[in-house]
Amino acid sequence: MTLLETERVAVSPLRRGTPPRRRARGRAGYYFVAGYAVLLLAFGIVPTAYSFWLAFTNDQGQFTGLNQFVKVVQDYRVGPAFAHMLVYLVLWLVALVVLVVLTAVILRSRVRPATSALFRFLYYIPGALAGVASVLVWLFMLDPDVSPVSWLLKSLGMQTFAAVLAPGNLPLILMLIAFWTGAGGWMVVMYGALNNIPDEVLEAARMDGAGPWRTAWHIQIPMIRQWIVYMTIMAFATGTQLFVEPQLLQTASLGRVSPTWSPNQLAYVYAFQQGDFNGAAAISVVLLAVGLLAAGLLVARSNLFKLDES
Amino acid sequence: MRAGRRRTALRTAAAVLSLTTAALLAGCASADTTSRSSADRSAFKPATQKEGSQITVWADSTRLPSVQKYQKAHPDVKMDIVTYDGGADGSTYLQSKVQLFDRTGSGWPDVVFGSPTDVTWASEPTKPGARPFAAPLDDKLVPQSTLKGFAKGSLTPCQFDGHTYCLRNDIAQVVLWYNKSLMDKWGYQVPTTWEEYEALGKRVARDHPGYLVGSVGDTNSHESYFWSGQCPAFDLVKPDTLRTDLQDANCTRTAKLLDGLIDAKAVTTKGFFSQGFAKESGSKVLMAYGPSWYGQYLFKAAFNAPAKQIAAAPPLTWQGETKAATGNVGGGVWMVSSHSANLKASTDLVTWLTTSDENQASAPTYPAYTAAAQAWLKNPANSDYFAGDVSGAFEQAADEVWTGWSNTRFSDATAWSSVVLPALTAGKSLTETLPAWQKEIANEAKAHGYKVADQ
Amino acid sequence: MTPSTLPPAAAIRHVRPSRALSFLVVALLLSFLLVFFVLPVVWLLLAPSKTAGEAVRDNPLSFGSFHQIGAAWRHLFAFQDGAMLTWLRNSAIYSGGSLILTLAVSVPAGYALALTKFRGRKTLLVITLVTMIMPQATLVLPVFLELNRFHLIGTVWSVILPFSFYPFGVYLVYIYFGSSLPRDLLSAARIDGCTEWQLFARIALPLAKPVIGLVAFFSFVGNWNNFFLPYLVLPNSKQFPVQVGLNQLLTSTPSFNPVAGAGLNITIPELALAIIVAILPVLVLFLFSQRTLVSGMLAGSTKE
Repeated sequence: MTLLETERVAVSPLRRGTPPRRRARGRAGYYFVAGYAVLLLAFGIVPTAYSFWLAFTNDQGQFTGLNQFVKVVQDYRVGPAFAHMLVYLVLWLVALVVLVVLTAVILRSRVRPATSALFRFLYYIPGALAGVASVLVWLFMLDPDVSPVSWLLKSLGMQTFAAVLAPGNLPLILMLIAFWTGAGGWMVVMYGALNNIPDEVLEAARMDGAGPWRTAWHIQIPMIRQWIVYMTIMAFATGTQLFVEPQLLQTASLGRVSPTWSPNQLAYVYAFQQGDFNGAAAISVVLLAVGLLAAGLLVARSNLFKLDES
Repeated sequence: MRAGRRRTALRTAAAVLSLTTAALLAGCASADTTSRSSADRSAFKPATQKEGSQITVWADSTRLPSVQKYQKAHPDVKMDIVTYDGGADGSTYLQSKVQLFDRTGSGWPDVVFGSPTDVTWASEPTKPGARPFAAPLDDKLVPQSTLKGFAKGSLTPCQFDGHTYCLRNDIAQVVLWYNKSLMDKWGYQVPTTWEEYEALGKRVARDHPGYLVGSVGDTNSHESYFWSGQCPAFDLVKPDTLRTDLQDANCTRTAKLLDGLIDAKAVTTKGFFSQGFAKESGSKVLMAYGPSWYGQYLFKAAFNAPAKQIAAAPPLTWQGETKAATGNVGGGVWMVSSHSANLKASTDLVTWLTTSDENQASAPTYPAYTAAAQAWLKNPANSDYFAGDVSGAFEQAADEVWTGWSNTRFSDATAWSSVVLPALTAGKSLTETLPAWQKEIANEAKAHGYKVADQ
Repeated sequence: MTPSTLPPAAAIRHVRPSRALSFLVVALLLSFLLVFFVLPVVWLLLAPSKTAGEAVRDNPLSFGSFHQIGAAWRHLFAFQDGAMLTWLRNSAIYSGGSLILTLAVSVPAGYALALTKFRGRKTLLVITLVTMIMPQATLVLPVFLELNRFHLIGTVWSVILPFSFYPFGVYLVYIYFGSSLPRDLLSAARIDGCTEWQLFARIALPLAKPVIGLVAFFSFVGNWNNFFLPYLVLPNSKQFPVQVGLNQLLTSTPSFNPVAGAGLNITIPELALAIIVAILPVLVLFLFSQRTLVSGMLAGSTKE
């Protein structure tokens, strides 16, 4: 398929014939993985272990049990930070799942292939602006003074940039930014997954008199369920990591957005303003555990990933 | 047999688990960070000095031309000039970076421009064993005679444990700015009390809708109004105890007065410095209660107000009170790094920046150094722009800055910007937002290790 | 690839109003999304052609002048004596350096995981998968603490080394070799007396071109746009990659930070231009991959 699609199509559940087993030949395997194993150890395993160690000790290196966590939980900023993250996650996941799946189905079965390819490309382009660039662009989109949709903002009663950045709007704004940069890529992935459904299946449905919506609901969507779960978990795990977006909004809004809006920002403040690396580690361990759990669940429970040739 | 063995294994596992849990819950040591000791402060040992080595200077964009001017005048000094946000609006950029440098053991800038808040942490080590970032300037670096030349009280934010860790660049005493041409045209008297200010504001709103007598929408508006109103929001009664009581009559009367004016649309909740304000309402500002730098910075640079229109009056008093008190909005400081390998050049630079007429006479802000302030006031470029002599108002206000608003380890702007401003934008009144503001200040204070008193 | 639109006859049993409605939903959704995704990009491309004043006053989607683009360009690159250039160069070093390391490490690793047998292979694979799915940002703070321990903070390596750890790349290579390199070919070569290294270098590597391109694309794009890690580990603004530099520009921009930014020439058009310049390499890659996209589609159609 396309380069864009190969990304995840390559990760797709491979149903192809598995190569025959071979007896190990010397230690060649070890040499080939050595470099990678060192990096994995240094930047995957050791940091994980190190942050656990920090989270259970204090700055004197003494064992503190759960005291770091207790201390962090009692911090008045923790509740709001996690609440913000939760609201954002709900908005972001619902929008992502509904719109991405719907759009992919439409692009797959309601539009001519050439048009579909063009749309997929145009939707994907903002992905090039991930990170800081996307936030900067959206700062302008949300500023009624320069925004091309200022009429919309004003008709919603938001006359100034400050009014747009009202605390209640923030999860929605962050969701828009995330959707803008990320959804296009997922649409391409879902499209690829839909493309893998054999034409005979769709043909049979058509013979039975099912319309396109009905086919989508009863056949196409159930058949790409794995992929939807995959997307949801990935998006969830990434969503817990909000940092750049609220951080830049905080700067650009001259402090109207709290500097500890998201848990990751709070960890940052702990480490770099309070100089409390243990407290910061406690927060990141919580986030890390969430990420590990999501990843473990996905690897263990879905058969999206090819683990063994047998 | 197998089942039995598994049961044993399970039992062992359960025992181990419960033991671990018990250990975890009991904990062994405190999670608090080691308290910062101030024991080593008196013994300042400079880093190894390298004469003529390059110095790195971090300045905000406003102060950048001054540093460049120094470079031009002293081409033999090797300098590396970096722009950053200058600690404005409660930014913690400098603090985060110094934390990093302390950990890497190198990279500190030699000279930085910062806010008074920055001095609170820069005068303390960021971790046990680290050297405080700011060098004690009174310790053989800057002569006492120079330190004595700063305006009364202007070095207070620099002083900790008997040492002076920074030189004050400018004072930002709050005065009453007004558009003299419009006031004369409409036949208004310049108010001298808050009550007159309020009455005039309501009259303006009636007679000339759209014209404004102030704004509460900036990140520093609380310093203009609540500091001037002697509201005990950030009162360090002891070095480790913060009193914040926003139900104090001084706070509520200011809030009530402003609420009335906001309702009348004479005071706006949009910031003077917010995007688009200058374009929409810049020419409609009849009065502004704000710092001395509003003249050059706000009216001239941002609003493009023509010369000979804007004037300044002394701070307002409350009826029945004889002595006026006023606030202070910003007023940056220059610090020298204790890690600098060229303290001589660094000190020379900050001294030049803060005290020389050459720099300060044409500075964008009112100098904290008394002699430089005289030169600043005499500079035709400063006086010609205004519709009258501002020196009386400035000098009076400089003496009247209320000392009950302390310099805390956290910026006073964060709570105001993140709690009060969004509430005002959402249409809430100041009076009803005061409790939330107080709560946020108290929370912040506790997070920064203060005890909090609210009476 | 087969034509994917359903012929109208397919829905023959449906009554016309519902078909019209369904068409309306499709058209509305697609065009709404089109505006949502494309409008900000169009605005961004037009913004540098106007002065700050025009950006506020004029139609947001109007074109100003080429002359103004030049002015914005000069202002932007004059900022802090050409800091923008330094940042771009840094980004190139960080993304390029880690790209080389990533490829050097992940191609053999993916190959070994797919085609050789060794103890711990499965474990390594599972850990790879888990770290691949875990968002990168979770480990940034611990990685920072670790780098700090080893006194690497502030060095080029503090960015390049963590960037080079790219489990997704290893997994891509693993899948690729597992499915496209017949083991019989390897066994035959072994019988001919090839060493394991020769097998890899002479047979596997030449075949791996497509997957190398893929890994390179994702690694480069991801690292170029990464903000969190360099933001933490690089204290000096001369070391910033362009993404962190953009943040610095933002704090110096009068339109978003009027107090700190006054007196600078960095206004809306300059900031917009900076965004474009900063993402240009990635954008070019995206557009370039569009060509592969088309040819890949043609190739795909012959496959099924």
